[in-house]
Amino acid sequence: MDCRPLVKIPYSKFSQKIHSKVKKDRTPICGTIELTFRCNMGCVHCYCLHDIKEKELSFKEISRLLDEIAASGCLWLLITGGEPLLRKDFLDIYGYAKNKGMIITLFTNATLVTDYIADYLREYPPFRIEVSIYGASKETHEKITGVPGSFKECLKGIDILRERKLPLSLKTMVMNLNFDEVRSMEKFAQDLGLSFRLDTGINPRLDGCKEPCKFRVLPSQVVELDFASYKRAQELRQFCEQFWGGTGSDNLYICGAGVNSFNIDPYGYLTVCEMSRAQSFSLLKNSFKEVWYDRVPEVLSRKCSSDYRCNSCELISLCGQCPGWGQLENSDPQKPVEYLCKVAHLRAEALGLIKPAVY
Amino acid sequence: MQVLDKRYKKNPDIVFRKIAEESILVPISNNVGDLQSIYTLNEVASRIWELIDPEISLTRIRDKLAEEFDVSVKEAEQDLKEFLDNLLRIKGIEEV
Repeated sequence: MDCRPLVKIPYSKFSQKIHSKVKKDRTPICGTIELTFRCNMGCVHCYCLHDIKEKELSFKEISRLLDEIAASGCLWLLITGGEPLLRKDFLDIYGYAKNKGMIITLFTNATLVTDYIADYLREYPPFRIEVSIYGASKETHEKITGVPGSFKECLKGIDILRERKLPLSLKTMVMNLNFDEVRSMEKFAQDLGLSFRLDTGINPRLDGCKEPCKFRVLPSQVVELDFASYKRAQELRQFCEQFWGGTGSDNLYICGAGVNSFNIDPYGYLTVCEMSRAQSFSLLKNSFKEVWYDRVPEVLSRKCSSDYRCNSCELISLCGQCPGWGQLENSDPQKPVEYLCKVAHLRAEALGLIKPAVY
Repeated sequence: MQVLDKRYKKNPDIVFRKIAEESILVPISNNVGDLQSIYTLNEVASRIWELIDPEISLTRIRDKLAEEFDVSVKEAEQDLKEFLDNLLRIKGIEEV
């Protein structure tokens, strides 16, 4: 035990230190709040539902929720959407969360960033801002967003944030529409001195519509990207070494969802994560504490059926299969997502863990 | 002027939290501390932070510490001064 009265610890170290402590008592230390599903873009792969008639949470309701989640121990908060900057009260909400002592990550498409917003963020900086770009060219980016002029607006937003030296990073969702530009996007980020990450996991829309899945890259292309970067390949190897083999658990939920993390949608419903929404709980009718300690354990206690094969699959650390994705893709949380299975097998072959399949 | 004659107020740009039995200070603006870090407090420091108030003299805080933690007034004063020094360095408090 450190007996010094005040010790400075970088976020990452503190995160490691506190995570083992909060697991046993299910402290909800990581939260996501989707401020709106509205968006000024019309991205082809988006999983959000844009035509919901329900009323978004008001500032008063959000501030009450922020009070409650802070009181329950939420430290890391992801603010996302839709496009969160579409909310006219975005800065009020952001400032309120900051004043509760939460460490905030913000996901945005950057097109609505103004000098005023950026100045405020400079004064009260988030931990990280992640901006999505969809191409290295105007044509590709706008083919995905569906909005003419959005590439220029996005770059302008990035510039405004960079001018203030805000903690910015870029990311992309890799699709068959932009696969050829991934390297150029990565270089673009590098040239700006920004970190870059990519995601290939397109899932169906929240209503189960599979339209977004049309834009998935081939499983072989996912693996090509894994091994195109030394860093990504190393991360995959390490993750696989750490978690190789079946889980040996009969629990359906084996990740941290609902244990130390939660998701709140724009209408005040809490789910254990942003994927798994089959069971949601209204935070307008119940307090966060009631939902977290009385209702969420029902979700976590779900057992998998005897024919559920993912928990005993040796490749589970390589796929990303989860009950939420199974539900969205197959209307069954226990039915494997075939696309993810193919990716996992190809990854295992590339890592030399299994022999290539003979077709 | 003696240190214990001074009074301090907390900087609203640093937020005190208690999470999973850890007491921490989270800087929220550019003008306080290091924004890429969190400050952890030991038990005594955590209690001092709770007690810091422009209406309460440092002598009273010292005496309360000595009583609550069952230590000598000298020890309590030493702990108090050390923590106040640390807080002043990161602009966590200011003199009123």
